[in-house]
Amino acid sequence: MGSRWTVEQVLALAPDGGSVKAARTLARPRTWSALGSTDSLVWGKCQGSAREPYQVTVDVTEPAFRCSCPSRKFPCKHGLALLLMWAAHDGAVADLDTASDFAAQWAAGRQERSARRATGSPPDPEAAATRQAERERLMTAGLDDFERWLFDVVRQGLATVRTQPPQFWDDTAARLVDAQVPGLAERVRTMGAVVHARADWAEYLLDQLGRWYLAVRAWRRRATLPADALGDLRALLGWARRSEEVLAGERVHDRWWVLGLRQEEDERLLSQRTWLYGQNSSEMVVLLDFAAAGGTLRVPQVLGSVLDGELALYPGSAPRRALLAGEHTVTTGDGLPVTDTVLGALDKAATWLAGNPWLDRIPMALGEITLMPGEQDAVLVDRAGSALPVAAGTDVWPLLALSGGHPVEVFGEWIDNRFHPCSVAAAGKLVSV
Amino acid sequence: MSEWDTLIGTALVGTGRRPPPADLLAGVVAPGTLPVDGTEATVLASAAVLGTRRRAGWLPPAWQGTPRDAAAADDRPECSAAAAQLLELLLDRSIRVDGGNEPLIAYWLHACEAAGHRPPAQLVVPLLQAGTTVPELREAVRSAAGARGGWLGTHNRRWAWAVPADVAGAAGQFGTATRAERLALLATLREVDPQLARGLVEQTWTAEQAASRAALVDTLAIGLSDADEPFLESVLDDRAPTVRAAAAALLDRLPHSRRAARMAQRVRALTRQDSTIELPGEPDAAARRDGITDRREPGHGLHASWLIQIVGAAPLQSPPGTTALRQADPAVIAGWTKAALRQQDIRWLTALAQSDPTAELLRALPPEVGTRIVSELSTVDARFAALLAACPGPWPATFSSAVIERLRTVRTDRVLATAFPGLAQHLDTTALTGVESWLAETSHDSKARRRTLRSLAHALTIRSAIDQEFS
Repeated sequence: MGSRWTVEQVLALAPDGGSVKAARTLARPRTWSALGSTDSLVWGKCQGSAREPYQVTVDVTEPAFRCSCPSRKFPCKHGLALLLMWAAHDGAVADLDTASDFAAQWAAGRQERSARRATGSPPDPEAAATRQAERERLMTAGLDDFERWLFDVVRQGLATVRTQPPQFWDDTAARLVDAQVPGLAERVRTMGAVVHARADWAEYLLDQLGRWYLAVRAWRRRATLPADALGDLRALLGWARRSEEVLAGERVHDRWWVLGLRQEEDERLLSQRTWLYGQNSSEMVVLLDFAAAGGTLRVPQVLGSVLDGELALYPGSAPRRALLAGEHTVTTGDGLPVTDTVLGALDKAATWLAGNPWLDRIPMALGEITLMPGEQDAVLVDRAGSALPVAAGTDVWPLLALSGGHPVEVFGEWIDNRFHPCSVAAAGKLVSV
Repeated sequence: MSEWDTLIGTALVGTGRRPPPADLLAGVVAPGTLPVDGTEATVLASAAVLGTRRRAGWLPPAWQGTPRDAAAADDRPECSAAAAQLLELLLDRSIRVDGGNEPLIAYWLHACEAAGHRPPAQLVVPLLQAGTTVPELREAVRSAAGARGGWLGTHNRRWAWAVPADVAGAAGQFGTATRAERLALLATLREVDPQLARGLVEQTWTAEQAASRAALVDTLAIGLSDADEPFLESVLDDRAPTVRAAAAALLDRLPHSRRAARMAQRVRALTRQDSTIELPGEPDAAARRDGITDRREPGHGLHASWLIQIVGAAPLQSPPGTTALRQADPAVIAGWTKAALRQQDIRWLTALAQSDPTAELLRALPPEVGTRIVSELSTVDARFAALLAACPGPWPATFSSAVIERLRTVRTDRVLATAFPGLAQHLDTTALTGVESWLAETSHDSKARRRTLRSLAHALTIRSAIDQEFS
């Protein structure tokens, strides 16, 4: 029998205090099944919020963790709880000679990978194809299940669905995560709060349900979809592409103007969007960076600068996601290289939406626009008198101070029929607002 | 009713209760292009089509409001990018200086104004916010932020203090404004046109309540001059004691007033042959009308307190010699000190400070006089540090280096800590080398002293950077 750890050794691995608390609550044999350990492995299945219990395995020689839960914390509470029960030495985690199938499989895979790394042999294309087929099978099953859920929502009616507890949304989201559709899962998860927060919740929910259903239908036709539509679909579902794959794909050389930067933070994730405009290609693209909450994002590009060099474009419809490829020379630009009237910008938005109905954030560069601070919500008005509502909660004072009530050039994002200002051109210089 | 509204109606109650109309997408998509199976699928597919159409087809409303005036142009050139960066770091506290960033922000604003520059527009909002929380910064912010700051003040109630006084419109607003608004209006107006402001006070005077009357008199403290004397003299007959006291406090500052002349008469009556002054008896009705009260001055008896009030309100002649000052009665000195401070009489303030320097006197003196008096002090102790901290700036370069050299001779950290606020604000930036060599020679065990010296060097470095950017 290998020597077990102490509780202190286990807790030293916890990423934060919240994980410790959650792990202690979970460390009760009642919620677990198939518990066991060998000299090197500890494993068990934990019944969580998803239908299938999470499979948890820990290799205590390194230690290394594997858990099928969607948590981005590492190690997650399940891994910690498992080790706590193991360390308690009270018979809940028995000493066995052979590991459970799922645990043994993972351990074997790890050994194989480290062996391959050691010998430097190329990845096996056949194995890759098998893995992809397996993933698609999992996603198909998950999306079929999701379609039944969508039908059920529409059958019950939105008014009834709104009275459902948060669990209703969380469970569906957890099942989508298990089916490896994290993008869609995140949208479903946040909807649980949105239906209570928004006055126009019914319209918003119905619109989103339509988009989700469209994704289910599009998935079934993925073999015949054009490459850009497939790219949009993968982005929505959250089937990530490796950056090597993107860098090996389409590249565009241009003078890329940095028009706007936006950072967002939720409980799990920090994200950063950098909007770029190609002077010669007239293409609007976006760089996305992510970091776990509490982590650090990549240093952003300087607002108002011009990057001369290549970008690798993700497959998808305009405005496309991009990656910086190779070296760039950086110069300083003078304001916005292109601007539209309100109607012109909305026209572009409609064209982009026609290409990608899942598009959430639409970039807009507006020229000769005046900020009118209102009693309730501020609006941006162009020369023709067309007004765009500024998103509620926007701090309009920096924009007002920079414009002084005069028409200026403004760049921002059009989200859910509200304008979110990012930057304004003042005296030939872009300033963040 | 649009297709979308019909769809919402169905979706809300659920297809279990109400199936969607069959022709929902009749006018939207060509028949047969959207094959769906079942009512739920019909609702979801219709939501996808109609939702996208609705989002893509959104049209902006025509704006119906009345446009407001834009901000007037500011002809001053924008300060350098490096200067702007310094101000931004001070405002958002990326740079922190012990004792608060406000003195350095004020320093930046004065340097900017002296150079005839303006801060960039994106810093006007943080400046207005700083002025809102720290009223001492307001005047400097108002002139630095200029037209843009005043214009923003008209859009945001909290920044109303930044709006330049509208002399022409003031009289009209005054009649209908609330009490607090009227006081704020008078405060701004007194700075531009004190006569007009007093005229407004006099207009409604008889109809005001006692509490309001006292507050209105207090506003005359701004821009006070002999022109206010006739009105203040009349207020001495007010029914309410608080109002009379407010008027007397202002008349204390006007040595050419009739009340000051009456006080001078009282002083003469008390002066003996040998120029010493005797204690007064019970004040008569006229003295009571002039605001003499029974309130005790700290450390003095009732009769001495009356004397202090009388001498403190009388006009000052030329100051006596050093010996006479040394020998004078403490109550008389206290009265002269009050009078010198109220009348801002530099000759008297200098004489009194030379005889017995106090922080109160030094604070009222110009830097060159204050620093001379401090440099004449023989011992470097806690009192020295307190006087130094009270001494206004800017301090001359020679004085600054000499002060650092003298402080280096002190063993305890308390002296340096007491002097720190004054040093950080007023020390000439050439003294930085002295501070740095002191720091280099200070043992690492003296944590507190090293910390203070580092903060001081930090503040001096920032000030010298500000000077450079505006030179």
